[in-house]
Amino acid sequence: MDFVVLPFVFLTVALLGGLRVGAESGTFIFIAPPLVTLLLATLLMLLLVRGGLVRLHQWVGSDFPPLTNVAHIWMLITIFFASAQAFNSVLPERGLLHWMFSFFFLWTLWNNQFSSFDARRLLRSLTILFGTAFVLKHLLLASLYSPEGSWLKRVAGALVQGVAFGTFDAPPFAAVTGYIAFFTLALYVGGLILFAFAVNGETTVVIDPVVHDHQQLSAAERPAVIQD
Amino acid sequence: MQSKIIQLIGLGVTIAYAAFIVWLYATEPRTFKELTSSAEVAAGTYEINQEKFNSALNLFRREQFRAARVEWQQADPAQRDARTQFYVAYSFYREGWGRLYFDQELFKQGVEAVNRAITLSSGSTLTIDDPDLQMHTAAELKAELEQGLERSWSDVNPLKALRTRK
Repeated sequence: MDFVVLPFVFLTVALLGGLRVGAESGTFIFIAPPLVTLLLATLLMLLLVRGGLVRLHQWVGSDFPPLTNVAHIWMLITIFFASAQAFNSVLPERGLLHWMFSFFFLWTLWNNQFSSFDARRLLRSLTILFGTAFVLKHLLLASLYSPEGSWLKRVAGALVQGVAFGTFDAPPFAAVTGYIAFFTLALYVGGLILFAFAVNGETTVVIDPVVHDHQQLSAAERPAVIQD
Repeated sequence: MQSKIIQLIGLGVTIAYAAFIVWLYATEPRTFKELTSSAEVAAGTYEINQEKFNSALNLFRREQFRAARVEWQQADPAQRDARTQFYVAYSFYREGWGRLYFDQELFKQGVEAVNRAITLSSGSTLTIDDPDLQMHTAAELKAELEQGLERSWSDVNPLKALRTRK
């Protein structure tokens, strides 16, 4: 599993994440990951380590045979590029929206660095993050920029009257691009879930119910409970 | 031992797959047909469609330059044959040539095509032995096309109307 299937899954994500299909020509357009996606992928890798999804000490070390070390480092590389391409698939290609989406991703990932995560919560959080971005880009924005025009386009036109639409310029892609992006993201999240179970084995951290209940409290409530 | 072999094979296969992905993004094929052409080029088995090439050459000799280019495009879809690209450039030259002025857009496309021909024939001088042509090397054709793109006071010389097409 960790030598063939998972690298294959993550590499497929890396392949499909930058693939678009032109609206008029119907030809393939390959978009290499922009620099910002590499930064986002780095932050995400840190988050995966912090969340316990990637346990570096169990993965790479002098105790393991060289081949295992090489395979595990290769797996990390494939996860990194799959992450970069997963971001690439949900980022608008250019214009102000590209930078707005990038900023929101950066903000979210940076904030998450200081939150407490376990593997399960992290996977849930990533699913929501990519799901939201997918809906925004491939449903809302695609509808906004569809050549036929849509109700959303008319509403947006009325709301932002006076604002040049060129600022939010986006290249038109065929509807199949959305399907490819959906498959890519499903494969990525599925790959991470498989990875959590296959490589790390038991991922559920067994904790005392009292500790669990304590974790559910807000930061303001916790000192009061401890005093009691 | 068996698990080690599986590990090695798995690693090899996935690294080959990664190399394929990098190659895809580097060559950027637009269709499945272009993808197979690029693969043939990479494997060294790429060949132009000779029948289409000859048909294009006939059209070129009958001065039907646009039709000739369409045929050459089909003969060499990956634009990897130096000889075909030379003829494409020549067709741009002949179509764009005028007694009083040169079509700048066609000449620019001609320069692009002749540059492709020169790049593809790297290492040796590209020479085409065709009695119908007056320029037989890519370097001559490139110089002629570039000269046509330059603007100078000599452009207003009325004697230029006496020049001949090569």
